[in-house]
Parts: sequence; structure tokens; C-alpha cells
Amino acid sequence: MTQWLRAVKTLIWKDLVQEWRSRDVITAMFSFAVLSLFIFNYAMELAPANRNEISAGIIWVVMLFSGTLGLNRAFSAEQDQGCFDGLSLAVPDLSVIYVAKMLSNFLMMLFIVILVVPLYSVLYNHSLFNSGFIGVLLLGAWGYAAAGTLIAGMTVQTRMRDLLLPILLFPILMPLNMAVVKAAGGFLSGMPYAQFSIWLPMLLVYDIIMSTLGLMVFNYVISD
Amino acid sequence: MLSQTKNIRLLFIAAAVLIAAAFAVVLLYAPPEQTMGLVQKVFYFHMACAWIGMLAFLFAAVFGILYLSKKDLRWDRFEASSVEIGLIFTLATNFSGMIWAKAAWNTWWTWDPRLTTMTIMAFTYIAYLLLRRGMDDPAKRAQFGAIYALIGFITVPMTFFSARYLRTIHPILFGSGAEKMALTPKMVQTMGVSLVAFTVLFIALLLYRERLMAAEELLSALESAQEDFDA
Repeated sequence: MTQWLRAVKTLIWKDLVQEWRSRDVITAMFSFAVLSLFIFNYAMELAPANRNEISAGIIWVVMLFSGTLGLNRAFSAEQDQGCFDGLSLAVPDLSVIYVAKMLSNFLMMLFIVILVVPLYSVLYNHSLFNSGFIGVLLLGAWGYAAAGTLIAGMTVQTRMRDLLLPILLFPILMPLNMAVVKAAGGFLSGMPYAQFSIWLPMLLVYDIIMSTLGLMVFNYVISD
Repeated sequence: MLSQTKNIRLLFIAAAVLIAAAFAVVLLYAPPEQTMGLVQKVFYFHMACAWIGMLAFLFAAVFGILYLSKKDLRWDRFEASSVEIGLIFTLATNFSGMIWAKAAWNTWWTWDPRLTTMTIMAFTYIAYLLLRRGMDDPAKRAQFGAIYALIGFITVPMTFFSARYLRTIHPILFGSGAEKMALTPKMVQTMGVSLVAFTVLFIALLLYRERLMAAEELLSALESAQEDFDA
């Protein structure tokens, strides 16, 4: 068990160091997120009156779309350098690769939350610092990373790669989207919890199912 | 390698007879609905197509699990065939539903859980077929196809249950509730005939498509052997 944990930690560290040396993906994701916020601003006329209603939706869509940029790159180094074989030999168990990749993708989503939430609050002079709201975004990020890692591991091995990832991922994310937007919107607009109480368990169920499924089938994604 | 053509042909004849019978029963035997009149008759085919779409997805997931455990490409062919047929029937469900919705609800589309789920299901099938097209290695393609069929089968019901909490105007067939559709015995019998006819058609198409895929694989194997021989 300790060996397993150490392997997970090492792989996450590898991803973080690799990313920190170039900072390509974070820069791209950050720019994309900010640009999307600006596009939303002019496309939707975010009037103060209905901000609470749609803020949650906009933040989640920005996370979703900039997240696909990161996911597309998540396995490209492994695939291009033939690193999958090396990794499969090095780890004590193949599940390590899924858990480590999933956690580094989760960290990447966390990074977007850390950037976008304060930025949105500043740009619209409208505080989004609500513990329930942030909590829902993190649960959403977890489900996104769990499903995204599994799908990205497959699409990176296909001919169409980047083109295929959102097409395969978005239908799978549909229940998560509904739960995140409803629950986050509920917390943000200060609705009584009973009115949206169904969505939090839904979110948890999705996260648990996707993480379990990922753990179970990911060895089929990387082995022949 | 190739399954028996004779049995498939018999199944096809049975399906043709049953579909013709279903048409006759729907048009002549089933009573016209009280308020919607003749438009309601599309329901018998709409319901049957939706049933086949869901059955096909279930089959695909089961074939996917069989492939992952047995590693026999035969299951992969069955899985892909099931998805292809399911996609056609899911689209048929959507379009027949839209025709009915325009007459009954005076709108082509509404954000109802069933409509949403069926459309997401169609897009999941499309994604599955695109995934397969992007891969050349048959073993890898089969493996990824099986995984995606499995994930899709788990998330599509979740989409349905999530969307259900966002209110519905779609008639509820099974279970209880104020909006439950009241079917007369004749209507239930008609529905039964239609469901049986479409299920037989689905099985026949599935067996036929699997056989065709096996034949395609055999042909490309022969062709590459010929090329090797010529070289």
C-alpha cells in the first residue's frame, strides 16, 4: 500500500514538474478561460439582476471547455515518447497510472477554479466566495477528471485525437453538468437547501461511479 | 466463421410478416385516441423504436463485457452491429416523436427528460462510431469500443434521472402519476404486436450485420494474403 501511494505521488510529481518546466498548458488554459469570460460578457449582457442565476453556469462552462485543452495534453507526452510501456513496467499496479493522472487532471481543474472564481468576482464586482458553491465546483472537477482521464487515455491513441475528446466526453458528462449547474446555482442564489437537495447526492453518485469505473477499466486502455 | 444464412433469412421473413401485421393492427385494429385522433398511432412505432434503441445499448454493453473477458472479436462485431442498429432506431424515435409532438404539444421540441436522453444517447452512439473509425488495430479498437459502450450504458440512465427532476410533459407510460397515459386493452395489444415485431427485426438485423462484418474481415484478410503472395 505504501509502495502504491509512493508511486502515485511520484507520478503526480512528474506531471507537475514537467508542466512547470514549460508552463505551456497552464498558460493556454488560463488565456482560454479569461477570453471565454470576455466572450460571455459580450454575448450574454450579464445584467446584475440575473447574475446569480447564470454565474454558476458560466463558470462551469468555462471550466469544462478550458479543461478539454488540458485533457488533450494529459497523455500526449506518454503517447509520443512511447512512455506508456515504460510506465506500465515501472508501477507496482496499473491502477497507479489512472489514479495519478486523474489527480493531476483534478489539480489542473482546481487551478482553473482558483483563477476563474476570483477573476469573475473582480470583473463583475460580484463575490462568488460561497463555500457551498466552491464545494460543488470541486466535486464537479473530480467527476470531470475521473471521466476525462479515462476518455483522454483512449482518444490520445486514436487518429483524430483532440477532435475526438469532446465528442466522446461531453455526452458522458451530461448528468454531471446538470447536477453541478443546479447545485452551484442553488448555493449561489441562496435558495433553501431543500429546493435543490437532490443534486448533491447525484453529484456524489456520479463521482463515485466514474472513479470506480475508471479504476476498473483503465488497465484495458493502456495494455494491449 | 460465418453464421448460417438460412436461419437469418427465416428470421427476416418472420420480421417482415410481423412488421406488416403490426402495420395492419395499428391502422385497422387499434382504436383512434379520444383527443389526439389518428396522430396518436405513430406512438406504436415510436415506442417500439425507443425500446430497440435502449435494448441495443444494453446488448452493446453486455457484448462489451463479453469481449473484455473473452477477447473474442466475434463479441466486438456483435457490439458494433448493435450500436449501429441502435443509432438508426434512436434517430427514428426522435423524428417520429417530433412529428407527434408538433401535433400534440404544438411544438417540435421541448426540453423533456425523454427527448433529451434519447438525443444524448444518439450522440453517445455517434461518438462510439467515431471512436472506432479513428483506430486501425482491431484488438485495440475492440477494447476501446467495449469500454465506451459500457460507460455510455451507465451514464445514459443517469442523464435520464437527472433530467427527470427538471419537470416533464411527456406522457408517462409505466408507473403511477396524474399524467399516466390510459391505454385501452386494444391499444396495449397493438403495442405488444409492435414491440414483438421490432424486436424480431432487431435480432435479424443484428445477426445479419455481424455476418457482414465477419465477411468484411475475411475479405480484407484474403486481400492482404493475396498482396503478400504477389509480392
